Amino acid sequence: MEQGIFVFLGIVTVTSAWFVAASQNLVRAVFMFFVTLFSIAGLYVFALADFVAITQIVIYVGGVLVLMLFTFMLSSKETLEKLEERKHKYFSLKQLPALLVAIAFLLVLVNAIFKLHPDHLQWITQSQNNTFQPQDNTVTNIGINLMTSYLLPFEAISILLMMALIGAAHLARKEQGND
Amino acid sequence: MNHYLLSIFVAVVLFTFVALFTTFGVYAERKISAFIQDRLGPMETGKFGSLQVFADMLKMLQKELITPLAADKALFALAPIVIFVAVYLGFAALPWAPGLIPAHINVGIFYILAVLSIETVGILMAGWGSNNKYALLGAIRSVAQIVSYEIPAGFALISVVMIAQTLDLQEISRQQGILSAENIKFLGFIPVKEAGGILAWNIFRAPHLIVAFVIYFIASLAESNRAPFDIPEAESELVAGFHTEYTGIRFALVFLAEYSMMFLVSMVGVILFLGAWNTPLPNIGAVKLADWTTGNLWGIGWIFLKSLLLVILQMWIRWTLPRFRVDQLMDLCWKVLTPLAFLCMLISGIWRLWLM
Repeated sequence: MEQGIFVFLGIVTVTSAWFVAASQNLVRAVFMFFVTLFSIAGLYVFALADFVAITQIVIYVGGVLVLMLFTFMLSSKETLEKLEERKHKYFSLKQLPALLVAIAFLLVLVNAIFKLHPDHLQWITQSQNNTFQPQDNTVTNIGINLMTSYLLPFEAISILLMMALIGAAHLARKEQGND
Repeated sequence: MNHYLLSIFVAVVLFTFVALFTTFGVYAERKISAFIQDRLGPMETGKFGSLQVFADMLKMLQKELITPLAADKALFALAPIVIFVAVYLGFAALPWAPGLIPAHINVGIFYILAVLSIETVGILMAGWGSNNKYALLGAIRSVAQIVSYEIPAGFALISVVMIAQTLDLQEISRQQGILSAENIKFLGFIPVKEAGGILAWNIFRAPHLIVAFVIYFIASLAESNRAPFDIPEAESELVAGFHTEYTGIRFALVFLAEYSMMFLVSMVGVILFLGAWNTPLPNIGAVKLADWTTGNLWGIGWIFLKSLLLVILQMWIRWTLPRFRVDQLMDLCWKVLTPLAFLCMLISGIWRLWLM
């Protein structure tokens, strides 16, 4: 049964992601992206990362996705139609760089998969006696790790977010005097 | 296999509860509004109009499902389902009694905040799918409001979580009564673990949590799009907001979502601030009122009663206060509630470190 749910989530993730990439209707693609994000959250739960799964929903569904939809609703219909226009050619020179990057990345991935021997990796064999159980509370673990081993990255991210906030406030501020 | 059958059974029970609560809630809302405005309310159908809601439901089920010609058909049809399911998912993690919780998860309160944010996607779906300017304006207003008010609500909840030191709703509930494993201090000084009752509730554990509760309550009104924060469906300006185009059973789903949201936010408030399933009666010497009134059945009764009181308070406010203007609404959120909520969180940290 668990395996069935896992396979189902996997199929939903892949097909919805494909729909997002292939769809001509941008707004529908964004709503389909919601399905993708949701099923990825489900896959995180299977990896016993319940906190990450819920954070994914809070940040991506509650934040990023809503922001994307807002930009659609505030932009005019003509802009959207221009964006949705698509030349019916499978290959053009414009797409060459993207195609090259995609092929190169695929080669790297395939190479990595063939060279990896997942059963004999050192950190996997070492960690076999040190695993999480589904009932374990991961939140305290995350908190302690954030405040000890990963304090510097955590602080760096907080400063980055602060900069983004100040930048947004500066952009949104009313210009005084010169209107 | 039994495990899965039980899960389905629990889901069906919760859905039945939500549906029953909505029928009751609509009737109560009409009667309360009638009382406040010095009217009689529904009186024709059944004794004191008690069958009015069932008549309305029958009417709604019979109605034709009209889809506007220019609407995005798939999004239009799916939106009410997404809106309702988002709220309904939240009920999965709420504890009802000391040994009764549909899904016991370690990150309960965080989960509820997450699934409630899905509702905004559903509302945007409805607004965009209807292809109607009132619906779109209503959806944008509604989402702007929900996203803004999530911040003070979230920080008010975090200030409780910092005192309780857990995200697990069942654990938070247990800490607020005689079943608690740790010591409880009334306002941080008087130990009340033995007495329990109303004195042990989180709202009285630290004075700033009273402020946090008020912030949460105001923000929860806005999150469920209730007056005085009902600018998304302001009848005088926007017809009916994001659900203008909906008819029949789809409209019923939107309505169901609104009423279950009211109960959900009230229940979350009760669990975090007002003692969850703990009894309000304290032990007084030999009269062990708290010991006598704690248990699974008592728990369900208490939590239901307390949530119902908050729901009635929401209705009372809706029919007493006039609607906010958009700028006043945002001013209240960003200039009053958010700084206050941040302050509450700061005090919570200090309180936990130095006073507990």
